[in-house]
Amino acid sequence: MGRYIIRRLLWVVLVLVVIVVITYSIFFLLPGGGSDAIANRFAGKQPNPEIVAEVKQQFGLDKPIYVQFYIFTRNLFLGDQYGWPGLGKSFVLRAPLKPVLIERMWVTIQLAVGAAIIWLLVGIPIGILSALRPRSIWDRAAMTFALIGISMPVFFIGPLALYVFVYKWHILPGSGYSPIGEDGVWQWFNHFILPWCVLALLYAAFYARLSRANLLDVMGEDYMRTARAKGLNERQVIVKHGLRSSLTPLVTVFGLDLAGLLAGAVITETVFNLPGLGQYAVRSVFSLDLYAILDVTVIAAFFVAIANLVVDIVYAFLDPRVRYT
Amino acid sequence: MKSVIGRKRLAAAALGVTFALVAVACSSSSTGASSSGSGAPTTGGTIREEAPEFGWTDAFDPTGEYLGTAWGMMDQLLIRGLMTYKHVDAAQGGDTPVPDIATGPPTVSADQLTYDFTLKDNVMWAPPLSRAVTADDVLYAFQRINDKKLVAQYGNYYCGVIKGMDCAAKDDNQPISGITVTDATHISFNLEQPTGDLLYRLSMPAAKPVPVEVRGCFPNPGDYGVDVISSGPYMIMGQDKLNLSSCSTIKPISGYNVDKGMTLVRNPNWQAATDDNRKAYADGIQIKINSNVDDSFNALENGDLDVVQGTPPVAVLQDFETNPDFQGWLHADQGDRTWYVTMNLLAPPFDDVHVRNAVNLALDKAGIRKAYGGDKRGELATSVEPPTVLPQSQDINPFAANTGSGSQTDAMDEMKQSRYDTNHNGICDDGGACDNILFLGRSTDPWPNMNQVAVASLKPILPGLDLKEVDTSTGYTTLQQVKKLVPISMVPGWGKDYASPYGFDFFIFDSAGIACTAAVNYSLVGMTEAQATECGVKPEYDAYVKNWGPMPSVDDKMKECVAKPADQVDACFAELDTYLMTTAVPWAPWLWATQFTSTNLNTVTSYAFDQNAGIISYVNTSVNNGLTPQNVA
Amino acid sequence: MPEPLLEVKDLHVYFPTEDGIVKAVDGVSFSISPGETLGVVGESGSGKSVSFLTVMGLINRKSAIVEGEVIFQGQDLLTIPKDELQAIRGNKIGMIFQDPMTSLHPFYKVGDQIAETILAHEDISKKEAGARAVDMLKRVGIPRPDERARQYPHEFSGGMRQRAMIAMALSLNPDLLIADEPTTALDVTVQAQILDLIDRLQSEFNTAVALITHDLGVVAEHCDYIQVMYAGRLVEIGTGDDIYYEPMMPYTWGLLKSIPLLTAQEERLHPIRGLPPSLINLPEGCPFNPRCPYVFDRCHVEVPQLLPVDGFHAAACHLSLEDRKRIVQEEVLERT
Repeated sequence: MGRYIIRRLLWVVLVLVVIVVITYSIFFLLPGGGSDAIANRFAGKQPNPEIVAEVKQQFGLDKPIYVQFYIFTRNLFLGDQYGWPGLGKSFVLRAPLKPVLIERMWVTIQLAVGAAIIWLLVGIPIGILSALRPRSIWDRAAMTFALIGISMPVFFIGPLALYVFVYKWHILPGSGYSPIGEDGVWQWFNHFILPWCVLALLYAAFYARLSRANLLDVMGEDYMRTARAKGLNERQVIVKHGLRSSLTPLVTVFGLDLAGLLAGAVITETVFNLPGLGQYAVRSVFSLDLYAILDVTVIAAFFVAIANLVVDIVYAFLDPRVRYT
Repeated sequence: MKSVIGRKRLAAAALGVTFALVAVACSSSSTGASSSGSGAPTTGGTIREEAPEFGWTDAFDPTGEYLGTAWGMMDQLLIRGLMTYKHVDAAQGGDTPVPDIATGPPTVSADQLTYDFTLKDNVMWAPPLSRAVTADDVLYAFQRINDKKLVAQYGNYYCGVIKGMDCAAKDDNQPISGITVTDATHISFNLEQPTGDLLYRLSMPAAKPVPVEVRGCFPNPGDYGVDVISSGPYMIMGQDKLNLSSCSTIKPISGYNVDKGMTLVRNPNWQAATDDNRKAYADGIQIKINSNVDDSFNALENGDLDVVQGTPPVAVLQDFETNPDFQGWLHADQGDRTWYVTMNLLAPPFDDVHVRNAVNLALDKAGIRKAYGGDKRGELATSVEPPTVLPQSQDINPFAANTGSGSQTDAMDEMKQSRYDTNHNGICDDGGACDNILFLGRSTDPWPNMNQVAVASLKPILPGLDLKEVDTSTGYTTLQQVKKLVPISMVPGWGKDYASPYGFDFFIFDSAGIACTAAVNYSLVGMTEAQATECGVKPEYDAYVKNWGPMPSVDDKMKECVAKPADQVDACFAELDTYLMTTAVPWAPWLWATQFTSTNLNTVTSYAFDQNAGIISYVNTSVNNGLTPQNVA
Repeated sequence: MPEPLLEVKDLHVYFPTEDGIVKAVDGVSFSISPGETLGVVGESGSGKSVSFLTVMGLINRKSAIVEGEVIFQGQDLLTIPKDELQAIRGNKIGMIFQDPMTSLHPFYKVGDQIAETILAHEDISKKEAGARAVDMLKRVGIPRPDERARQYPHEFSGGMRQRAMIAMALSLNPDLLIADEPTTALDVTVQAQILDLIDRLQSEFNTAVALITHDLGVVAEHCDYIQVMYAGRLVEIGTGDDIYYEPMMPYTWGLLKSIPLLTAQEERLHPIRGLPPSLINLPEGCPFNPRCPYVFDRCHVEVPQLLPVDGFHAAACHLSLEDRKRIVQEEVLERT
């Protein structure tokens, strides 16, 4: 297993390098991008050649693309003057990116983990109960809820929820992020509960459908019949034999979903004004902040790649038929 | 000067959110709505605002910052300089510089080359500095501009103008021969040549004093932006906690975080008696960053905010217009900005002035404005500069036959005189030049509708127009590439740098505004042969010269006007603009745009607009919410 | 015969579906005595599995109509409370199934799965249950049982898995073992081993066995009694000798004839022509009539009852006893 992990980690490194190449390419090859566009944006409204050249030099954009790429990749893995990993400096902030990204990543983690807990606690039980009472009223209601949850996008539900809960009914204080250390746990919770629920809705719906389908499948398996034949009561049969099989695939899905969210829930963060990675990604793209864009992309890719590895390993522990050499 | 609000609209719309926002970089309408407050001002309270982002171009560092909003904030709230503006609207003189730290207007030598200023001795820096602003502080600001690394975006207004300044100094401690500090309250400027609008240039944030204590502490552009030391009526919350004993002890001010917001509180050392131009009614100002614009307007309507700047989403606009509770909440102020159709002199058929004239006559300006949002968007333009910048613009209207909706007959008459109309029927038909003419437009709402109107009004004379829509950023970048020779485009808008016509006209019409990949003089007015060669358009340049003679140029006139005494500058520029609109005709301007600001009239007791900055005049606006400023950073 | 261990009386199991009612078991009665081996033979769809699944209470009562009585040790399993039925399942009656690979949970160790059965019925420690599981594995002939107990089902071979299942079913020394096609998924050589194992364990544990199969060859040497089922009904019952040497029903004849002989000269097989009937639309009269080579008018009208032929031996057919005996002598036995 150890050698397997090492091999996979090497692949992760390769993936990250490829991602950096692709991002650089997109950035420099698309119309509206490139060294000139960046320099012009930061050189102000009336850039004359001297100013533009000066800006380019300060941002390191005067070097050929492959040199820039090499420097960035090298710094990423070996560290730069601001620490390790070397995440460079923001054109917009004129300050090192690492502290900014760490702070934002922390906000995104809070958002993602909170939402994950909710969608697991809501979606999976709904799915299980629906599978145990197929075609009943409960089942139909649950699957309708799932359909709605999957169909309604965050950018619709989010503002709607904000409007209803904050402005109409005044139940919640408003959008934004309130760190625990600042105003206490209650405020922190108040500000997160709405984005958590809105974000969790889609996933809860999806997981409800998934766990329902899996459990229905598993209920028809032979080993369920054997379990009953052994004299186990229905609860033991479903929980110990049924859920173990039907929920194990969800582990893989969950790992990847969570990793995707750690890269930044872009729309949720923007709608609820949460200073996370997703909101920052959008801003960076529109302000052509090259290193911020690269960093956010690399972070996202890193999370997903590592999550892939972790779920594969975890799955090997859960399913004894899977073995890695 | 650039305004931030537009970029955020762009971002939000591109996110695909259902807010159908208007992507405008800076806008205002001039329908005479008085932007002065209607009620009696109240003292105290906190002005609460939200913005989607700050959007600074140089991280709020006064030496290099180029954003209009930033200028307004620095000039009104934080930094007092030799000169300032009155921070009121145009009607009340908001576009004219007045003395601030200077005791009065400078003494100017007979040859117009020396300006002597006397400083008040009681304008104080905020704590912890707590001493009077001195002439050395003023000099230091110019030493920073002169520092090559700090890349002052408008250094050219000073370098080559003030003796000894070349914007290539190796650090911020090099002496400048043209600036003399006699003592703490006396400073003199010696110029290379007469510069009639020097006072405007001295009102820009880069020229405002920086305390000498921070010399050498902020060597890179943007660095000082987190530590701007105040001499104005407000300071950034937390400034008093700074430790200025050495460079390494200076930490960023806690009340400002570019991602979260900025809170300003009163500068306890500011004395109203020394300041005629700032009332500073409010006890503090809070500007919070909120990426969800809809949410900000919800909060405004709910009473949780007092001000939101920028064009509101369509739904909110309708609300403001139809709901009596929101009567008067939306202010449309003159934006000192022109929207225009640019034509490239080197790209046939626009090399022929008759064609350019015809475009001016045919363009359905009223229709475009309607698609843009209607009357409150601004006044239909007849010349390049808005009247708030150049009063004479009202009278410059060579295409009066176009009363607003375009005049097809007059346009066709003009086109008949063009060599590209071979059969003289008023329609461009010369195969090579008249076919597949790229018309570059913006793709974000509501520009596609506007593009349709514009192109429809021009198609009768230019049937070969081929509309292509791109996002704003790409549009500007494309226009900036000289080699691309974009023939005609409705992408750009242009706002003043400062309210003298030179600040408006210089870069867009002077040959200095032509850089091969960063041109802002899109039409290439006054292009030189050397530039044409360098930018790879020599063949087109030669063709133009062969067909029409030398390129129209305003370079010489520009130098002439700038050297005029202050009271004759405007008249000179009126001549320059007239030349532009009658002989060079690089543009078909269509709108002198307004700027929108929304205020909650339940809490905002008096509203003022800062014409020069193009933003709300915080220092002359008052609220009655009685709140103490909270740290939103 | 001694007091029956299990007595099934007039069992009907119907499944309502969209296309009609599937009559899986249509009036079946039989009994099993303690220590006895009953072979239950029939094609797919004959109702052989469903009958015993109903005995175990593994048929979903919400989607099936079940009528009749299933008396086990004096109790009607169809009507006793759920928890009592659970106490009997796995404990007094054990059941093994056709495909041991899918019948064992892939994620749990084999030893744990066996121990689970024990723990479900007896209040002992996990350790003790584990030890007994290992012991069971030894008794079913699995070498190095303590090692094997810690392995997962996919690490066992087919035959070993079935042995493990048997171990699991017998771990609480049940009075009845139901083996539903235990050898169908295994190779021929392993088949023999498993059947011998069942035999041996049966005498060791003194368990009654119901051996369900479609293969008449399997039940030949291992069963005391054999019952043949067709279309949800019993069509012939008797001892092993009765069935093999004097079958009295055309379907049984067909089954015997279709067994391939090692010594036969010809290469063609002789399956029963035709297909098993649809359980929704059973033919009128004798359900075998579309395929019976000896069919005549009465067969299309009246359902034949299971009538005694000789003592315990009974068959359901309209042909006269004389005719049947003659046919047996002339056409069937010469083959076998």
